[in-house]
Amino acid sequence: MPLAYSLPSDLSPATVTNTSSLLRIIALALISGAAIASRLFAVVNFESIIHEFDPWFNYRATKVLAEKGFYAFWNWFDHTAWYPLGRVVGGTIYPGLMATSGVIYNVLHALNLPVDIRNICVLLAPGFSALTAWSTYMFTKELKDESAGLLAAAFIGIAPGYISRSVAGSYDNEAIAIFLLMFTFYSWIKALKTGSAFFGTLTALFYFYMVAAWGGYAFITNMIPLHALTLILMGRFSSRLYVAYSSWYAIGTLASMQVPFVGFQPVRTSEHMAALGVFGLLQIVAFAELVRAHVSSRQFQSILFGSVIVIGVLGVLAFAGLTYKGWIAPWTGRFYSLWDTGYAKKYIPIIASVSEHQPTAWPSFFMDLQFLIFLFPAGVILCFRELRDEHVFVIIYAVVASYFAGVMVRLMLTLTPVVCVAAAVAFSSLLDTYIDPVEPEVSEVAVPVTGGDSSAASPATVDGAVSSKKAKKAAAAVADASSTGIASGIVAAIGGQSKSPKARGIFGLDTRFLIVVNALGMLLFFVLHCTYVTSSAYSSPSVVLASQNPDGSQHIIDDFREAYYWLRQNTPQDAVVMSWWDYGYQIAGMADRPTLVDNNTWNNTHIATVGKAMSSPEEVAYPILRKHDVDYVLIIFGGLIGYSGDDINKFLWMVRIAQGVWPDEIQEPNYFTPKGEYRIDDAASPTMKNSLMYKMSYYRFAELFGGSQAVDRVRGQQVPKTGPTLDYLDEAFTSENWIVRIYQVKKEDLLGRDLKTANAFANGKKRKKSKPLARRKALA
Amino acid sequence: MRFLRTLLFPLVALTSLALARSSTGDTVLVLLEPSLKKENFSIFFGDLEKKGYKLTFRSPKDTTPEIIKDDVAQFAHVVVFAPETKTFAGDITPQTLVSLLSKKTNLLLALSPKQTPLSSLAAEFTLILPPPGTPLISHFPKRDTPATVVPVEPPRAHHIISDGLAPVWFSGVPQALGNSPMLVPLLQAPPQAFASDADSDSGADALVEAAEKSGEGLWAGSSLSLVTGFQALSNARATWVGGIEIFSDEYINKEISKGVKSGNRQFVKDVAAWTFQEANVLRIDTVEHHRVNETLPRETYTINNQVTYTAYISQYDPELDLWEPYSGINDLQLEFTMLDPHIRTSLPPVAGEPGKYSVSFRVPDRHGVFKFNVDYKRKGWSYLSSTTVVPIVPPRHDEYPRFLSAAWPYYAGAFSTSAAFLLFVALWLAGDEREPKKGKGSKAE
Repeated sequence: MPLAYSLPSDLSPATVTNTSSLLRIIALALISGAAIASRLFAVVNFESIIHEFDPWFNYRATKVLAEKGFYAFWNWFDHTAWYPLGRVVGGTIYPGLMATSGVIYNVLHALNLPVDIRNICVLLAPGFSALTAWSTYMFTKELKDESAGLLAAAFIGIAPGYISRSVAGSYDNEAIAIFLLMFTFYSWIKALKTGSAFFGTLTALFYFYMVAAWGGYAFITNMIPLHALTLILMGRFSSRLYVAYSSWYAIGTLASMQVPFVGFQPVRTSEHMAALGVFGLLQIVAFAELVRAHVSSRQFQSILFGSVIVIGVLGVLAFAGLTYKGWIAPWTGRFYSLWDTGYAKKYIPIIASVSEHQPTAWPSFFMDLQFLIFLFPAGVILCFRELRDEHVFVIIYAVVASYFAGVMVRLMLTLTPVVCVAAAVAFSSLLDTYIDPVEPEVSEVAVPVTGGDSSAASPATVDGAVSSKKAKKAAAAVADASSTGIASGIVAAIGGQSKSPKARGIFGLDTRFLIVVNALGMLLFFVLHCTYVTSSAYSSPSVVLASQNPDGSQHIIDDFREAYYWLRQNTPQDAVVMSWWDYGYQIAGMADRPTLVDNNTWNNTHIATVGKAMSSPEEVAYPILRKHDVDYVLIIFGGLIGYSGDDINKFLWMVRIAQGVWPDEIQEPNYFTPKGEYRIDDAASPTMKNSLMYKMSYYRFAELFGGSQAVDRVRGQQVPKTGPTLDYLDEAFTSENWIVRIYQVKKEDLLGRDLKTANAFANGKKRKKSKPLARRKALA
Repeated sequence: MRFLRTLLFPLVALTSLALARSSTGDTVLVLLEPSLKKENFSIFFGDLEKKGYKLTFRSPKDTTPEIIKDDVAQFAHVVVFAPETKTFAGDITPQTLVSLLSKKTNLLLALSPKQTPLSSLAAEFTLILPPPGTPLISHFPKRDTPATVVPVEPPRAHHIISDGLAPVWFSGVPQALGNSPMLVPLLQAPPQAFASDADSDSGADALVEAAEKSGEGLWAGSSLSLVTGFQALSNARATWVGGIEIFSDEYINKEISKGVKSGNRQFVKDVAAWTFQEANVLRIDTVEHHRVNETLPRETYTINNQVTYTAYISQYDPELDLWEPYSGINDLQLEFTMLDPHIRTSLPPVAGEPGKYSVSFRVPDRHGVFKFNVDYKRKGWSYLSSTTVVPIVPPRHDEYPRFLSAAWPYYAGAFSTSAAFLLFVALWLAGDEREPKKGKGSKAE
């Protein structure tokens, strides 16, 4: 057999095996190191700080867990959140993340390593990303081989789509959930392959961990049944499937019900019914298989087949009936919004108002996955080549996750692993083909080679030498796959249909060299891209903002912490702070003050109340504020430095959410100009100008410009010179760049007047003379 | 010990005699118009000094002594006897007078028929004054004084004014009362009195006409107030007196009828006592809450707990300069509030324990941040308000009932399934060798 280049032949197989396993271990270790290191940009560029919004709650909860122990955490009633309703934290969170940190904390302290809980929280996500890389390696190894596994591990280690949720400080459920997701899938595939109840149980245990860690566990709950159902429909029912699925479902469901937040949902809600239905179906099919094994009559079998269908139909009817009767909760709004992207905006504005629930923009696919996104289809098609059970799984996963990633930005996260796996399969196939030194034997039907420079047109199809198995049909597909990798792919795919199977393969070193260098170049650019995106886009804590000075040096904008620390230092411990819900967790975490609403958006009415207060005139808002004991109102205003994520830009969501509850009092069209524009300048509608949010945002803003025209840098509009006045609130604090403004709610007037009158009096305005009340009764 | 106490008691009594009777302090600033002579009010001021007040006099146009220095009120009480002053010194504006109230300084203000800054300030207290130059006039009863000097019957059985006083001489402007619940009328005009031009009675016809139109309002009759107290939310008190003469020695000594002295002296004493927070001053000393059968408060309570709430209320005793337990409130209420009162119950005094008000109730079946609210506002009495925040939490994981009788079917199901499984395993292991095929069938089922 001709070789393109020589290989050392005097190595014993044991040496090769040992060396390769050592290399694998080293590679995995390096991948872990790279995965962790690239996530530390946030710490290096800024500091060891918890990021964004939700992580602040998780951090706070973890502190409670670390300080007071697990039982206190389980029974924790947070009376500072959702004031005055309070929040039963133990029953409304997925405790997996905090429990993980708590365990790590206790273990470290038991080892006399007094690590601060904050550092554990900050570094948890990078640490788990290394585990994710490992579990992706294991998963891909089951799919193809170790080299594909290593590629997949490297991809997931640095893919921005996953980094975006797991940089240091991004202490959120997703940080550990992706590891759990991949490991659950790995053990599921393993269980399916081996038919082992042990791996089925392992799947169930990690499924339980996943349920405890992230609401996205429903993805697993539906992926595994979908896979099982597909296998049944493909006629691939086997006792391996039966054992794997049954052990997973029975143990996994019972275990998941132990999480207080989940409770009886697995048997009561529609999202979990697919798993139950497939479980039932599997029992029926297993029974049918058993009977078929014992009875040879064909007619009897057809009767059985019919009865299986009847039972299935009855099951669906029973499910519909139970749903109708209310025994099974119907699909939730969040679920509907997965199918109809306009649903949330119409019926549940609170879900639609979250930016990460918006449909994904196409560029973000490239930004998050770079060249993986076009290797991804190739890898999926390669899966058809072998189409073992696990390949079916990857294909389903790919289809489902692609759809979801298109619907919601945040679900890009679930797509990333499968993209990495599929791309790794494709890429490693490419490399296998071109690194393999075996050259095909030149047959009689010679390929029309016209000189060495036409190597690009040489057949690019893959010989079965790599995985010398049945590869007849797959050849064309593989051609497609590799064609995406090289420029001359199409030509090769068309021209490469040589009749003789023996003649397929790659000749010479030049072709190999070209392709491999090209491939390595892509990898290199991928690394550069990932590093760049990670450092520039995904490593901002969003609590601290960075901008560039004219000389290129970094300028830190620290208004948020400035304001939160002002609250912490200058207000009584029990001063209630009202803000839009985005900042609830941060206020609770950094300022340690009670908040009305926070990012755990469980009570729509309460949020709508805040929305109403913000969008109403002062005198309407004041009783609401008093009723809720609000002492301070905190708003975010970006008009001075051009911070676009401010409250005026979110204001329409407040209006919409308030309108959902009080359609008679708040109407969205009133906040637009007659032409339908959203403006804040002179042309703004009176309702807009009188709203509390507008007044608080632009209070004394024009004074800052000292007579010249004041301009809002976010909206790019000119602010009226005479700004709004406030009667019921006092400006208490405005941060350096005016990003955070805090207002104090005035107490009721000493003399029982309304505050507008009191304010007019304090400003020295004369009151209109009043007359005594007419006493009609006395005169009659 | 007893010896010591007997020794101490007169000592305490003596010192308390020397101290002022007010619950808030003994310094009084009197802003006296230069046209008014201090000697003309010697009885009123003398009575105050006898009680122990330290009077400081200052002309409205002087700049010292300051009323507010470094944002701290320098006097516990301010008497503004400047009914005709049009321009005050810079530190006395309507705004500073109101801010004095927020600093818990009490005010005693005298008005006159003339338009002054004070009369526009009165509007902030929802007092409505007649047009300038229209004092109170009454032609009844027949007497030899001018029509503007009116004998007024003081209120009977009033909780601020002493009972059984002789009529009080009054001359000045009446005030119609607005709808503020903080107003406390202390002296009301006689039914026959009205406000009109003092010079002639020609205004009377105009008044009747106005009354007939009814929309104009009417400055006549007993709905008019002559001396009006006002208690601000800070519990500081401001009293508006329609005319300054009511305090004068002349009116105090003037006879109502042959041999009967007017009630002015006692009346203005009562008014000053109320205004300077000697009388009708209550406070909540402490509040306590705990679970029934316990004594210490808990940080949180669980839903459906039985909870006892106790408030200790005392009244200021001006005679002894002491706060004494007070059990005289029978309509005190307690609210247990989260957004809205979930429970509103009366908070009755405990018999045999003076000053103690207590009630036990069951916490609602609703978790959240609740407040024990006591909010007692009665005219003429200090406002009592107390808010205690306490979170109500759901039961801990181990506080739920452990075994439910209703769940016996499930217990039975669980145990019978376990037993059946064990039996099955035993049979399976035992029967394996004999009939392996049958065993396999039973597994699938």
